[in-house]
Amino acid sequence: MDNLKAIFMAEAAELIADIERALLQLEQDQQNKEGIQSIFRAMHTLKGSASMFGFDTVSTLTHHLESIYESIRDGKNQLSTTILSTTFKGLDHLQKLIDDPTMENEGVQQNHALLLKEIINLEQEQHQDIAKNGVALLTVPVSVEEVTTYYIYFLPPSTIAHNGTNALYLVEDLLNLGDAVAIPFFNNLPSFEELAPDASYIGFELVLSTSKTEKDIRDVFMFVEGECELTIVKIAAGNVLADQAVQTKLLGEQNLDAPKGVEKIKDILTASAPALAQSSQATGKAAQAVSSIRVSSERLDELMNLVSELVTTQARLSLFAGQETSNEVATIAENVEKITRRLRDNAFSMCLIPVENLVVRFSRLVRDLSTELKKDISFKTEGTDTEIDKSVIEKLTDPILHLLRNCIDHGIELPAERRKKGKPAQGTILLKSYYSGANVIIQIIDDGAGIDLGKVKKKAISRGLIAEGAELSEKELLDLIFLPGFSTADQLTGVSGRGVGMDVVKRNIADIRGEIELNTKAGEGTTFTIKLPLTLSIIDGLLVRIKETDFIIPLVVVDKCYEVETTLLTQAFNQWVTLDGERIPFLFLRNEFSIYENPPVLSQVIKVAYEGRVIGLAVDRIIGQYQAVLKPLGQLYHNQNECSGATILGDGSVALVLDTAKLINKLFIKTKPMEYEPAN
Amino acid sequence: MNQQTEILNSYLTFRLGDEIFAANVSKISEILEIPKITKVPRSPDFMRGVVNLRGTVLPVIDTRSKFGLAAVADTVNTCIIVMNLSLEGQPITIGAIVDEVQEVMEIEDTNIQAAPSVGAKYKTEFIEGMVKKNDLFIMLLNLDMVFSHDETHMLQELAGSKDAAEDKSNSKK
Repeated sequence: MDNLKAIFMAEAAELIADIERALLQLEQDQQNKEGIQSIFRAMHTLKGSASMFGFDTVSTLTHHLESIYESIRDGKNQLSTTILSTTFKGLDHLQKLIDDPTMENEGVQQNHALLLKEIINLEQEQHQDIAKNGVALLTVPVSVEEVTTYYIYFLPPSTIAHNGTNALYLVEDLLNLGDAVAIPFFNNLPSFEELAPDASYIGFELVLSTSKTEKDIRDVFMFVEGECELTIVKIAAGNVLADQAVQTKLLGEQNLDAPKGVEKIKDILTASAPALAQSSQATGKAAQAVSSIRVSSERLDELMNLVSELVTTQARLSLFAGQETSNEVATIAENVEKITRRLRDNAFSMCLIPVENLVVRFSRLVRDLSTELKKDISFKTEGTDTEIDKSVIEKLTDPILHLLRNCIDHGIELPAERRKKGKPAQGTILLKSYYSGANVIIQIIDDGAGIDLGKVKKKAISRGLIAEGAELSEKELLDLIFLPGFSTADQLTGVSGRGVGMDVVKRNIADIRGEIELNTKAGEGTTFTIKLPLTLSIIDGLLVRIKETDFIIPLVVVDKCYEVETTLLTQAFNQWVTLDGERIPFLFLRNEFSIYENPPVLSQVIKVAYEGRVIGLAVDRIIGQYQAVLKPLGQLYHNQNECSGATILGDGSVALVLDTAKLINKLFIKTKPMEYEPAN
Repeated sequence: MNQQTEILNSYLTFRLGDEIFAANVSKISEILEIPKITKVPRSPDFMRGVVNLRGTVLPVIDTRSKFGLAAVADTVNTCIIVMNLSLEGQPITIGAIVDEVQEVMEIEDTNIQAAPSVGAKYKTEFIEGMVKKNDLFIMLLNLDMVFSHDETHMLQELAGSKDAAEDKSNSKK
């Protein structure tokens, strides 16, 4: 039961998120029919499953909300801002109710009573409106779920009554599935003398419009399916029988001697109902929906672990096959490698979720907070289809929420102030995400006041973070913001300003191997840029060797490889080398890593490109391409900057994964030349 | 209670050069032969590198170098003791290379003598006490102190000194 409850809670959370998303859309465009439709649908489902799992408080509240939206959907009422904000409140409360369905918390209980009253009032207002108008507006009911029309031919065996089944009950069951018309036929009826009293001679043809699937229909015949003649044919999408005229026509066609057959029925329907013509459109829409199943994230993690192990094992197999003389083994190993790679990519893509998933929570926060602080802010998003590993997304929510809070509280000014500055009264926060190489970049851009560097400096001095007369560059000043215990807000609000925050943001992002940067222009706004790795577990890499140590260079940054005489590199002036007629700076990694013994005559220079910068990395040998399962180096190597992790090779030894970004930055920041010192 | 005492009284003894050390078995998970060790660039000398311990990356510390003993070539007896320690409150697994593992022996608390504080060759905070057995002194190690204490500091210091050395070599030019 607990398991089922957990499923319900997960489902409910998703439904609430759906409703929230739709509400936010509706707020922009109150005429959006699709939005109301989806809210209604989600509420309906929520109500159903809540009462099924005994969450009565949830289902009651949802029921009342649902009826408001039902009347809006049916055109009996207009959507209003009051309704929207009550619904928002209702959703928040629902979330609490799901955690605490019996309302043990007194606050929840009071809130529940209040909200329920508010919602019921709204509901009644609507009814009064209707009463005032005298007549309820008549509208065509819109089908809530996808409805399909089936033709069913059912001829029970003559002995059906012998095992206690009543054919009529079955037909009745079918009629209950949706709108249906049943037409019997009697062509098997013998003459009166031959008639056996306990035998069945009747067959039925039915036209059934239902949201149920063909399987549900078959389930009705579960106990007789083997014995009876049963044909189920899908004849149209949509509810063909919604029009009374069609029903009458079908019934009027009664010629009870023989079954008409599916073609005849279709003819009748086409002749009388335009619905069939529409049905093709509906079918197209249904086909678009991608089928999906729910999988728990533990299982996905398990899958990723298994794939990682498989990749490691496959590397061993390839190594073994390379030593083997048999061609067949080599072929098999090669195939296993190909399949492993595909499996890996596949498993990966399962773990990727679009940034979109976060956006609902963010827009909600912006909406609520800007109202609370009386600021006018529009929240825009760009590139939300960018996908990131789910484990990264989970850890990203809190930092981004915090950044947004800061933007709203400190960044965007009050409308009056903005007008004074000659800016549009409405502030804008843009959440932008895009791919950049093996990274995902998420930017939060606001057009607010920017960060006052003078204020930052004063604060840092008063907090004792820097000395009184210290001269700091702009970047150094901005970095102060990420120190623990720093906050520039003059007064505490419930939102931000308690000085916990930016340091936590930075740490959380560092935990997922990301980086955060901050740019600001006083009076024009602030931009936070978060750079994240696309994935945390497996990368394609180039395996290289220096002396006896193996290293992995992420393949995404590798551009081209060159063979260069080592002396050319060791005697190069100012660490520049000419490759393909182009002069590029390089790092002689032996030097960087203090490995001086026995340099090879020829070195390999790997040209890597990263964020527009091109540099060469000189190593002894290139071994080949390798799928590296990333393992952390551990806390003891916490200060090791050149390597971002390690991986296990096919022969069981460990290779180190180079952090090219850090290497490159190091070269560009520390541009001083380095001399190659041969071992004595 | 009895059982706990038993566990606490079992010690693994190992040799480094001519001296015998003992460590409580409760922190030791296994003993490995020396596999191929991958040296991590720009790490201190006593950090021999990392090895593959059934799919996880295990950092390995050269205990001789850590204790300031002269380096010797690995022999057939050289092995890695895998231990579970805690570093700044976080559990951490590391390997320590020793010359030879000897035996697991019971040492009663009453037989443990205080470590001599004067003229000690090793930092006294590393030594929990001493035990005399067959005219031989066995030093009981405080593993948490030896292998995780100040380790990060040392790394930082080393990185600092290396930079300083580089600066020097450049200024020479």
